[in-house]
Amino acid sequence: MPSHASQAQRLQVLLDLNILDTAPDECFDRITRMAARLFQVPMAFVSLVDADRLWFKSRVGFPYAEAPSARSFCAHAIRQDEVLVVCDAAADEHFATSPYVRGYPHVRFYAGQPLAVDGVYIGTLCLVDSVAREFGDEERALLRDLASMVANEVAAGALREAERRLRCSEASLRALLDHLPDSVLLLDAEGAVVSCNPAAEHLFGQEAAALAGRQAAALLGLAAGALAPAGGAAAARIESVLARGDGNVSVEAALSTLEIDGRPHLLASIRDVSAQRAALEASRAAEQRRRDFFRSATHELRTPMTSILGFSDLLIKRDFDPATGRELLGIVHKQSTRLVAVINQMLDLARIEAGDAEELNRSRVVPEAMLAAALAAAVPPGRSADIAVDAAPSLPPVLGNEERLRQALGNLVANALQFSAPGQRVDIGLAPAQRDGRAGLALHVRDRGIGMTPAQQAQMFDAFYRAGEQPGHEGAGLGLALVREILAAHGGAIEVASRPGAGTSVTLWLPAAAEQA
Amino acid sequence: MSKRILVVDDQADLRLLIRLSLRALGQVEQAASAEEALCLIGAAPPDLVVLDVWLGQGQNGMDLCRTLRAGPLTSKLPIVLLSANGQSSDIAAGLAAGADDYIVKPFSPDTLAATAARLLAR
Repeated sequence: MPSHASQAQRLQVLLDLNILDTAPDECFDRITRMAARLFQVPMAFVSLVDADRLWFKSRVGFPYAEAPSARSFCAHAIRQDEVLVVCDAAADEHFATSPYVRGYPHVRFYAGQPLAVDGVYIGTLCLVDSVAREFGDEERALLRDLASMVANEVAAGALREAERRLRCSEASLRALLDHLPDSVLLLDAEGAVVSCNPAAEHLFGQEAAALAGRQAAALLGLAAGALAPAGGAAAARIESVLARGDGNVSVEAALSTLEIDGRPHLLASIRDVSAQRAALEASRAAEQRRRDFFRSATHELRTPMTSILGFSDLLIKRDFDPATGRELLGIVHKQSTRLVAVINQMLDLARIEAGDAEELNRSRVVPEAMLAAALAAAVPPGRSADIAVDAAPSLPPVLGNEERLRQALGNLVANALQFSAPGQRVDIGLAPAQRDGRAGLALHVRDRGIGMTPAQQAQMFDAFYRAGEQPGHEGAGLGLALVREILAAHGGAIEVASRPGAGTSVTLWLPAAAEQA
Repeated sequence: MSKRILVVDDQADLRLLIRLSLRALGQVEQAASAEEALCLIGAAPPDLVVLDVWLGQGQNGMDLCRTLRAGPLTSKLPIVLLSANGQSSDIAAGLAAGADDYIVKPFSPDTLAATAARLLAR
């Protein structure tokens, strides 16, 4: 027998049913229509008692969807277990003064059977007439049966509502899994795949149906049994590398054990960490390059210093014949010159890389004048006959740091001369050139010297890289590194074509002045 | 009998400096590369090798040092490494490669001569 629950319990049941203020429903309307006809009453209701109102899920002969619950018959009816029958409300001491009796709809007769849901009375199936009438036992029994039908419909609705919520919650769980960037595998006690999400299908390149039943350890390239919760405690985190057709994929899997239907299962959440690994590798490589740079710089600075200090020490402490003494002083001078050159180049590199204000000083540079100045500085007197210049007419001026551009071109020419024998011609060409649709200036330097292997070409612009020691030319390997930095600072480009024995051709491209804002 | 010292360095100026620094201690021979050094040592092991770590062309004096230590005739050969890199990790690596001493550039001719004399006297 349902209890006369507190108002709070009733309101909670109504809330859970999600029934208040819903649309009319034919399955309830059918019953109220039937009740009105069977009992020959003008009004019949499926009435739900809310906090301070009656809300009618179904109604016959009454125009309003709700009415105040205060002093209502229904609010009274749900406080008892039996049908509430008031044969003549005008003569009833409790209801005679009710506004429902004194005013519209002028109730004289009321019969209401409480509706029990989850053991709580939530409202009534009730009959109302504006004339007094009798209500016998048979009629009461009939009303009770009809009320049971209403209660069944409410219960069925509740079930549908629960199912809808379950579907909703399943759909949101599914959406969560479907859109998770991580791959999720549910494994049974033997480590076989039970189900997975689309990310897992993508990771393993197979559909869920094909993955089901497969051993997850094999899929992940792990030892058999590594992912079977039945085989003992699995590690909480696992790293592995998947060999896929499109390359290796580094993955990390987080594992958690759980029970489903009393059987141990394992949930593996797998993340593709290839990008992080690659970034780590790149940062290690950058660190290695910095270390190599530092070691090279140390070598290039301390080696000439060794000669300078060592020979001057010998000259101070020992006696040499004048010719030998001069020779040793010559070495000291040569190494000092070399040291100064290395220091200057390192400072230049640092300045250009840092992009300080002076480096960003731009002016219109006339190519022909820049070339003439570069050649004057870079070509030793004995080699000027080896230089052949071919400049196209009306070259576009470029916007840049003239001193740096001269330095870049000079370094290239000096390099070309260094790697070709005296008498071998070095061609220099200047011509307007388009690059990616932008107007600009191309400067070619082509030698017929020893050339470079592809491996040497790959390194030629690295700081301190030297293709080979050339007698009499002991540069620190910074000349081309400077060329690269200068071109980068000017938004230019460098192209190299070379073959061992066939010489080297380097083309510098600079955007024309008009192209730059 | 005069001691024989082999200088292995890719730079002619440094070979000359070392030769002048050590000539009072014996006969100084020169090699400009690891191959040349192995050739000379194979023909007749010297009494001391002064070996630059940086041999150019991608060659490393430490590799040569390890090669010599692995050979039965040169496993006890006194070796001094010269290097511009003077951090403790660099020195430790040089000694781990089997060098008897490690001298950081720049060095004074007297320091080099004193080290060489000590190793030759062993």
